[in-house]
Amino acid sequence: MQAIVKKLFSLILTVLVISFLTFIIFSIIPGNAALAKLGVDASPEQIAAMEEKLQLNDPVIIRYGRWLFGALRGDFGESLQYSGVTVGELLGSRLPVTMVLAGISFLLIVLLSVPVALFCVKFRDRLPDRILTVLGQVMMAVPAFFLGILITYIFGLLLRAFRPGAYEGLSLRYLFFPALSIAIPKIAMTVRFLKSSVRGELSQDYVRTARAHGASEDQVLKNHVLRNALIPVITFLALVIGEILAGSIVAEQVFSVPGLGRLLITSISARDYPVVQAIVMYITTVVVSLDFLVDLLYRLVDPRLRRGG
Amino acid sequence: MSMDELLRVSHLNVSFPDDDPYDGIEERDTVVRELSFTMKPGDILGVVGESGSGKSMTALSVIRLLKKSARVDSGQILFQGKDLLSLSEEELCDLRGLGISMIFQEPMTSLNPVLRIESQVSEALRLHPGKEPLSTEEIHQKVRKVLEDVGLPDPEGVCRMYPHELSGGMRQRVMIAAALITDPSLLIADEPTTALDVLIQEQILDLLKEIHERTGVAILFISHDLHVIRRLCDRVLVMYQGQIVEEGETKEVLDHPQHEYTKTLVARIPRVATVPGDTPVLEMEDVTIYYPPRGASSGLFRKVKVEPYVYGASLKLYQNEILGIVGGSGSGKSTIGKVLTGLHGIYDGTIRLFGQPLEKVLAGNERPQMIFQDPYSALNPSHTIGWTLMETLRSKGTRSREKQQEMALQMLEEVGLSEAIFHRYPRDLSGGQRQRCCIGQALLYDPKILIADEPVSALDVTVSSQVLELLLKLQKQRHMSMIFVSHDMNIVRLICHRVIVLDHGRIVEEGPSEEIFAHPSHAYTKKLIEAAMLE
Repeated sequence: MQAIVKKLFSLILTVLVISFLTFIIFSIIPGNAALAKLGVDASPEQIAAMEEKLQLNDPVIIRYGRWLFGALRGDFGESLQYSGVTVGELLGSRLPVTMVLAGISFLLIVLLSVPVALFCVKFRDRLPDRILTVLGQVMMAVPAFFLGILITYIFGLLLRAFRPGAYEGLSLRYLFFPALSIAIPKIAMTVRFLKSSVRGELSQDYVRTARAHGASEDQVLKNHVLRNALIPVITFLALVIGEILAGSIVAEQVFSVPGLGRLLITSISARDYPVVQAIVMYITTVVVSLDFLVDLLYRLVDPRLRRGG
Repeated sequence: MSMDELLRVSHLNVSFPDDDPYDGIEERDTVVRELSFTMKPGDILGVVGESGSGKSMTALSVIRLLKKSARVDSGQILFQGKDLLSLSEEELCDLRGLGISMIFQEPMTSLNPVLRIESQVSEALRLHPGKEPLSTEEIHQKVRKVLEDVGLPDPEGVCRMYPHELSGGMRQRVMIAAALITDPSLLIADEPTTALDVLIQEQILDLLKEIHERTGVAILFISHDLHVIRRLCDRVLVMYQGQIVEEGETKEVLDHPQHEYTKTLVARIPRVATVPGDTPVLEMEDVTIYYPPRGASSGLFRKVKVEPYVYGASLKLYQNEILGIVGGSGSGKSTIGKVLTGLHGIYDGTIRLFGQPLEKVLAGNERPQMIFQDPYSALNPSHTIGWTLMETLRSKGTRSREKQQEMALQMLEEVGLSEAIFHRYPRDLSGGQRQRCCIGQALLYDPKILIADEPVSALDVTVSSQVLELLLKLQKQRHMSMIFVSHDMNIVRLICHRVIVLDHGRIVEEGPSEEIFAHPSHAYTKKLIEAAMLE
């Protein structure tokens, strides 16, 4: 219980620090929402009036204080680029899209990495393992946007499995492909990590014991090695989730999916700081909570970490 | 082959690829050469030899668990008439854990850390269901029975535990239980007691003997330890560089070794080292040692009050003697060492060293030296070992740098370290090497009295026995008297002539170690000994 309170406290602290830093950065970079909104042709008077209207003239600390006060009551303010739309509404429409996208990616990573890694270990240093290893290296090296374009071309144009650019509603079928483009490099990384973890476990003494009990190679892998090998992978997967969120920014752009990532990019160029603040806040919370979740999972998988261990 | 043979190994050759992968030529290093022996059902055959003699390779060949890089080049292994070398992997899996079982040296790591004991003990049973598979309940009953058979208290509770909840000795019992649950005809035991404490070793040997008498399982027992072989085995093979150099009845071979190698092996059994003299080098009479109470701080106008920590202790230490001081934490056992080395000075009573008052001795160069428990923090991390040793000599008054260096290097050799250590930093050394450095540093003063305060508690079992061996050797060579402070009754019993038991600052028992261990009279001593047995 104490640990949970401690974690919660550090979560709040992290979020506060990050929100302040984002605010500061936004006040340092040139340009502001008024300029972005009115364009380069606007007269200085128009800009000044707009700045006044958007309350951009107050000192940073005052504006941060105002924002924080609102945020604490759950009011993240209004978007500066879309007049009359609250940040809450904006996020409410975009968040589910990105969450589904990230969810599919994560599932793909977990469901594909484990069997592929075990397959590689089984055919260790033989042809299938070598082919998959090289393929994995290529996938890790290819830039994310290029992989997106490749998938659009193969599945969208050649195989006509989806219509690129025609995203409507919350379509799982459409989201599968951007999710795939996010997942592939991460799968390659996870397989590689899991493979070395499994190989490390295979040289442990308890594996020899299992063999002496008469366990076959498959039984050794399935009953003994996998669970031990997955322990370090849990941390790795938590990091991967953070990377999925980063990857979704590119994928949403390439597949024109109206998610959080795209909103983030447009909001940054529009200097729409209330929206950017909210998105950053959200991502920070997810990443820090994952850390917490990993701790709990560890306890579940590794009995040595449970009470008394 | 006659039917009363269980195992026949003939002309077995096993090789490993040569370590150098870059010379392009595949050379092989033969680790087992033309090995032949037989076992009858119910035999206990010992295989003895030093590490690298090929004894473990022999064992692993029989159960066909050699590493992939190892290769059986030629020979035949017949088990109950079956040629093991021609079996397929599947047939081998059927045999392992059912006909032949094996237990290993490392009980701490040989169990799967994330699985409960029940599933590990029952594994062989579940993997070999036979014609009529047992129900979960029947399996559970069998596991309970076998855990009880190997002497584990509360088998029901142990079933639900994970390996980390058990001590090394208990884990080895679990390993034995898991190996025996299918009633195999042959048990291969590869150094099963080496990683265990001496007393636990004895218990495991007794257990194996008892199991053998009850079930008649044949045991192929691999060990480097002649004591262990002598206790358990009827017959013994002596291996040297992959070959059998001598074999026969255990008693015959060990009492009248024929081969040169066996003779050196037999000679290496350590003996009790020194005989104490009768001149006391240290006399303490009614010494009470005071400490400020824990957490006390002195204010500007307030003097810290001190409280007695060791009450009226009287003891004598004789020439060449090793005196053990044992007790739990907080019993005051380290405190006495601190006073004798001048690290703590608040006490009443008389302490005389070599007939002179303690203060006078502490002022000179004859003062007792101390070795501490934690070799990791006892050495200055920002200086090389050479610097530290030379600094010790400087403080002792050796002026010439050449002389300092010469003496430091000589000391490194004496404590069994190479000259290269001179230029190393403590962080580059293992725990054992660091403790050797600490010992060397203490010995540079050429002390007549050495106080070892839990010198091996921070080291693992193998290293700790090497460091103890070194201490005993040096104690003998340099005619030192030693006070050995420890909480570990097993070690104290082995190396100390006399023992003093401290409980909450009071000496509660004193006497020759054998007597104290055989007939402890004080309840606290009994408790300490019991605790050591349970470990």
